[in-house]
Amino acid sequence: MGRVTRSQVTDLPGTVGLPLALVIVLILAGLAFGLPRLDRAVPAERAVAAGRPYEVGAGVTIVPPEGATLDLTGTRPGDERGSALFRLGPVQYAIVVQPFDGDLTAAALRLRQRITGTSGYQVTGTQLAVSTAGGLAGIQGGYTAGDRGGRYAVFVAHGFTIEVTVTGADLDLGRTLPAIDTSTRSLRFEGVR
Amino acid sequence: MSEPVRPGADRAAALTRQPAFWVVAALLAVGALRISQIAGRFLSVYPVATVTAILLFALLAVPFWLFVSELDFLEREPPSLRVLAFAWGGLVATTVSIPGSTALDNLIAKFGSPGLAAEWGSALAGPTVEEIAKTLGVVAIVLIARAQVNSVLDGVVYGALVGLGFQIVEDVVFAIGAVAMAGQGDQVQPVVTTFLVRGFLAGVWSHTLFGALAGAGIGYLVVNPHRTRTHRLAIAGLALFGAWASHVLWNSPLFRDGLGDGALALLAVLVFKGLPPLLLILYLVRRAHDQEAAYYVAKLATLRDPQLITAGELRVLGSGSRRAAARRHAAARAGRRGRAAVRRLQRAQAQLAVELSRDPDAATPHCAAVREHRAVLEELGHPEAVEGARSWRHTASTVGTTVVAIAVVWVALSALGGS
Repeated sequence: MGRVTRSQVTDLPGTVGLPLALVIVLILAGLAFGLPRLDRAVPAERAVAAGRPYEVGAGVTIVPPEGATLDLTGTRPGDERGSALFRLGPVQYAIVVQPFDGDLTAAALRLRQRITGTSGYQVTGTQLAVSTAGGLAGIQGGYTAGDRGGRYAVFVAHGFTIEVTVTGADLDLGRTLPAIDTSTRSLRFEGVR
Repeated sequence: MSEPVRPGADRAAALTRQPAFWVVAALLAVGALRISQIAGRFLSVYPVATVTAILLFALLAVPFWLFVSELDFLEREPPSLRVLAFAWGGLVATTVSIPGSTALDNLIAKFGSPGLAAEWGSALAGPTVEEIAKTLGVVAIVLIARAQVNSVLDGVVYGALVGLGFQIVEDVVFAIGAVAMAGQGDQVQPVVTTFLVRGFLAGVWSHTLFGALAGAGIGYLVVNPHRTRTHRLAIAGLALFGAWASHVLWNSPLFRDGLGDGALALLAVLVFKGLPPLLLILYLVRRAHDQEAAYYVAKLATLRDPQLITAGELRVLGSGSRRAAARRHAAARAGRRGRAAVRRLQRAQAQLAVELSRDPDAATPHCAAVREHRAVLEELGHPEAVEGARSWRHTASTVGTTVVAIAVVWVALSALGGS
């Protein structure tokens, strides 16, 4: 007959149900709250080279506004799609590139519906035609969400849609929009590699 | 020599008497609240799409649920614990994984690069958080109902159900995300596309499978007391790692490029990334099933009473396909009543086997139940629940079903692969 080991005597779970259940709670709390806390503790912003094109993804580049920083939490470059999130102080400036098989009107409608699909967001004013220095034609409009305002623009090129959204408090937007408009005009489709 | 089954107590203590149960119940309540908030938000913006997604994926859950529940025919898990496992996956693991995976994805971008996060973020962040959160569900079941985890197969069943719950809720969230991304309002087309991709094509090698593997490890940890704790923990860790690695492979960008966009390319991705883990896990599940079946059949063999179980029925009871063949044979000879009577006899024999493993002295009522069902079969002129000769109709039906299944998969692949 074999010897009874200590590990057999103290075999799981035995009488340690409650402490182990609390360990489970701790692990879950670590995943649900600890990881986001660590994420927030690590700085997300990185400097970007002033005046030089930044590759958003799928061959689309943009020259960031002077003084802008890159927010890594909203930046995911890729060959088939991509996104970049810049910050100018409290103002967020996001560019998203993704495959799209419709025209500019459909792309603008899609972006507007996504904006208004977010609780509290409303599109304001009329839409205007815009174009970039590289010749991309687009549509631009505005939206509001409580005490925050925003600007959107959308372009379609070579089977991709390029969506630009700017969000911030009205005062901050007024101060930064000229630089952002200049940056948006620098959007360029270099072609998929 | 170790047994593949570690019999539990005759009656599990009432769940509510255990402090750990209330901890688990509190976690489920928090998860339910959070998922309700998310569902409420979806319903307020995209009511038709949300209801469609919930209905479609709930329907998808039914065959998975039936298959997993039937997996352990001989020693079925109590419905309450099966529901608990499903709820853990759908409410607790998802609630934890949504913020946890996003945070880990961001950390990959911060400590690595945005490019690394774009390529490998979903392959590394999701599996890391999700597999841990799901596996803890099986651990929680062990803590509150140890008597119901008697074999590796039990761990497989609970793990698969946790994974199934997770899969269904995650699929609904993805479907509504697709609706929002489409930007065309409350449309169901993105829901249907998500259903085809995530439910139909990717559903087989998804969370249910990963959860089953991790659950097998927890089952091994619990039912092998003759092994050292280090050994058992190592095996459980290896199973969790296997689930994580399978999930990473499935989410990885490998094979994404270079195979084109057609149906064949999509099929190749499914085969290269999904098939190896699927075959490995099915092999392990089959092994666990056969070991458990052999254990219980050996218990019944000690009775040596053909009124309780005949030699032919001993051979049939340990195999799912043979049990089904015996029911078909009964249907052919004695109609639907015969099929139902064989099913009840098999169920009663399985319960008797479990009871014999726990407390042979308390098995008398179960013997009476088996004799009762035997009497019904004798009345129907079909006294023994054994397989008949393989009929051409069954063979034709199997071939036909396989052809239809391949055709449906091919149509779906063609539609989604763009060929």
